[in-house]
Amino acid sequence: MTKIIEPLKKGHLSLALVCVALGFMITFQFRIAMDQRASLPYQRIEVLTERLVQTEKERDALADQVSRLEATIAQASTQDAVAQQTLAELRQRAGLVAMRGAGLVVTIDDSNVATKPGENQNLYVVHDDDILRVINELRAAGAEVISLNGQRLISTSEIRCAGPTLSVNNVRSAPPYEIIAIGDPKTLEAALTMRGGVADTLLLWGIKLQLRREDAVLVPPYKGVTPYRFAKAVEESQP
Amino acid sequence: MIYAIVGLLLGLGLGAVCPLVIPLAYSKLSSVALLASLDSVFGGYRAVLEDKFENIIFISGFFVNAMLAAALVFVGDHLGIDLYYVALLAFGQRIFQNLAIIRRFFLK
Repeated sequence: MTKIIEPLKKGHLSLALVCVALGFMITFQFRIAMDQRASLPYQRIEVLTERLVQTEKERDALADQVSRLEATIAQASTQDAVAQQTLAELRQRAGLVAMRGAGLVVTIDDSNVATKPGENQNLYVVHDDDILRVINELRAAGAEVISLNGQRLISTSEIRCAGPTLSVNNVRSAPPYEIIAIGDPKTLEAALTMRGGVADTLLLWGIKLQLRREDAVLVPPYKGVTPYRFAKAVEESQP
Repeated sequence: MIYAIVGLLLGLGLGAVCPLVIPLAYSKLSSVALLASLDSVFGGYRAVLEDKFENIIFISGFFVNAMLAAALVFVGDHLGIDLYYVALLAFGQRIFQNLAIIRRFFLK
């Protein structure tokens, strides 16, 4: 013990004073570190990283579920011939199967018209409601299966503007937009090009619309999982 | 030793109640100054043990080292060289050296 106390008689005062200054600086540094950790960008990074990890886990779990469900489908479908046929039909109507047939290919692109100064540029760009009108017209004309930029439209597919791009089945795509519809090519084309119809309205703003009748088009299947979370089946009585 | 610890606690207490705040942008400078001060404290303690302690050298070393370290990091930031790490490594090495000598003195 004396070994520690004795030599200190010489410089202990200065050492003590300097230690006071040191303690002072330590608390300053600590406070800065606390401020840094509480700062908004730092916290936001932490929150976002957490959410990313969680979402990735959810995605992996859902992908697992998809493969399991597909395995059960493959199993169940080998049982009954009639049930198998019904299943195939239902899968087609649900959009899970690629379909082929005669139809129409519609290409829509933004207008190239130079906007006059002061005019709203938004009027000359393709919007989700333009595409929705085209698709509605096609459906009214008997289109059986429709895809938009490679995304199969099913009953829960949304078509929505997301900034300068379009979001379909949560997949973003940019113009030119290509709509492939399987149906009677002549009827489909006539529905779009009738006087005062969709084509006329779009051409008013210079939106480029191209229609092409085809004898064989291919519509891709719907790739995604949409388990119904809120909808519950109502017991149906057999006819 | 007791005086040093008491001094340290006193400094911690004073810092806790002091309303002064260093802006976040200067956090690097103050951390390097802190390391320089730590190094000079250990160096002073080692000098005391070796009987080579001199007041003037100790006090001047404390302040000059802290200022120089902060100045070095500041200049390095503006020159684009990461002198922050240079200062950290240099002071870290000195601290460990001093600690080793102190330890050897106690164990002998």
